[in-house]
Amino acid sequence: MDSAHAIDVSHLVKKFGTLTAINDISFSIGVGEIFGFLGPNGAGKTTTIRILTGISPPTAGTATIFGHDIVRETVAARQSMGIVSETSNVYTDLTGWQNMMFSAQLYRVGRSEREKNATELLKRFELYERQRDKVHGFSKGMRRRLTIAMGLVNSPRLLFLDEPTSGLDVQSNLIIRDVISDLIQQGVTVFLTTHNIEEANVLCDRVAIINKGLIAAIDAPERLKKTIQSVQSIEVSFDSGSPTQLDELRRIPMVNEARKEGDKFRLFTEDPSEVIAGVMTYARSHNTRVISITTLGPSLEDVFVKLTGLERSGGGVTAID
Amino acid sequence: MGLQDRLSRELVASWAIAKKDVAIYYLRPGTIVGGVLFPLFMFLAFTAGKLSTPAALIPGLISITTLFSASSIEPVSIPIERRTGTFDRLLSAPISLNALVLGESLSGLLYSVCIASVVFVAALLILSTPIVSIVPIVLGVLLSSFCFATMASLFAAYPTESPGDIISMVNLVRFPLIFISGVFIPLAALPAFGQMLAYISPLTYANDLIQSGYHGKTVLNPFIDLAMLIVFILIFQVVANYLYKRFND
Repeated sequence: MDSAHAIDVSHLVKKFGTLTAINDISFSIGVGEIFGFLGPNGAGKTTTIRILTGISPPTAGTATIFGHDIVRETVAARQSMGIVSETSNVYTDLTGWQNMMFSAQLYRVGRSEREKNATELLKRFELYERQRDKVHGFSKGMRRRLTIAMGLVNSPRLLFLDEPTSGLDVQSNLIIRDVISDLIQQGVTVFLTTHNIEEANVLCDRVAIINKGLIAAIDAPERLKKTIQSVQSIEVSFDSGSPTQLDELRRIPMVNEARKEGDKFRLFTEDPSEVIAGVMTYARSHNTRVISITTLGPSLEDVFVKLTGLERSGGGVTAID
Repeated sequence: MGLQDRLSRELVASWAIAKKDVAIYYLRPGTIVGGVLFPLFMFLAFTAGKLSTPAALIPGLISITTLFSASSIEPVSIPIERRTGTFDRLLSAPISLNALVLGESLSGLLYSVCIASVVFVAALLILSTPIVSIVPIVLGVLLSSFCFATMASLFAAYPTESPGDIISMVNLVRFPLIFISGVFIPLAALPAFGQMLAYISPLTYANDLIQSGYHGKTVLNPFIDLAMLIVFILIFQVVANYLYKRFND
């Protein structure tokens, strides 16, 4: 059986007692699409993934993977998947090679194919030289790379990637992003869950933002940004500063919110030209010079913040509740 | 996908799970204490207490060895794998829960067969323990190992990340079974209530079958012993499957 969609989710509901974790969500993901699934902690991301991978059954609704119902045809649906969970769930008492072989055997990849795939993937993830070492000697980044390699050993058509680059070193990050880019070229469908909104912005064809068990928005990142044009901002830096500068900038007319970002300030507004004029007036009156000033459109993070009801704290976002 | 292909796929995956457990868990301290030292100490306690001669106690030792060693892998492996997240890897693999339970049970079965074989050979060489027929001993060891390993898989379905929780629950069943199954105390010597309980213990049938290999006589019909062990395996497998499904929700 085949389908135009890699994933079809229809009116999915998941309840745990009186708690509704997933509340009637529906979406489809096309073959070869890179789909980002974003949401604050507890929004229902993990529950959705557990349903889509057949670990947990839905309370109501259906989900199909390449046309196979995940509840009634679980084994067939899973056969075309690769799953990379948030934790690097590798067997630390086995070697890198043994981990790869075990994963391939679970998916019944033939001996010659699994050895070929494992060799290629271990080389691709720069783990080949350590393939005979037990994994308990691997660094966090190496374990993460091995986890992803294990998820790809069966050459999946659909890859679930849960926080693939969270908290990793630069080398691992670069390797993993390179591999994801290659997968995109090869037409593999990717279901990406990440807290790194910029990563989703760069990689994904579409993103869904889930909050409190509901899909708050689902669209291409650029189209989502257009829905909140009111969240424009000015990024400005001065040649000198003072401890009270942030508060003074907040008082410029038409500035809704001001944040300090490194040596720059970001001023959110619905009227950028008015704020630019205000900034220049402020600079003159405080005997300082503007080194740079840039007008920015809303970022995907701005969309995320607006739709999930989170509030900004310092450079990131935190949940209100 | 045909039935034959499906079965083959499931067996390959079960065997892969069993091999993984062999490589990781056979030499863990918890496994050795539960699977080797417990039955050994039990045997020494009964011989030191002069309840019987060592040679006469060998069939019973083999019976409790299968009970303890077969049920000592999964109570350690599954909670550890829940903690490390590797159990989710098994749960999300393209195999049925039956194949998963079978794979976990196979590792317990192999462990038990290895240790029971050592006891059997040592008894033969050191104590010159006579045997009447090896067939019931082999069948008894194989089926009881499978049965107790599946029983352990069932207990390990309880969703905890601590091996101690599962081991405690398994011990609540394992220790009473020794005393109500005719292993060291003959069934005829048990009170009426104890004899009733004996018939709901799989160890009774395992021990009866193994004893018949050594003594040539059984309390029950050997075919009943075989049938009952198979029934217990099926019941444990079905219940384990149900519990894993339920607790994963």
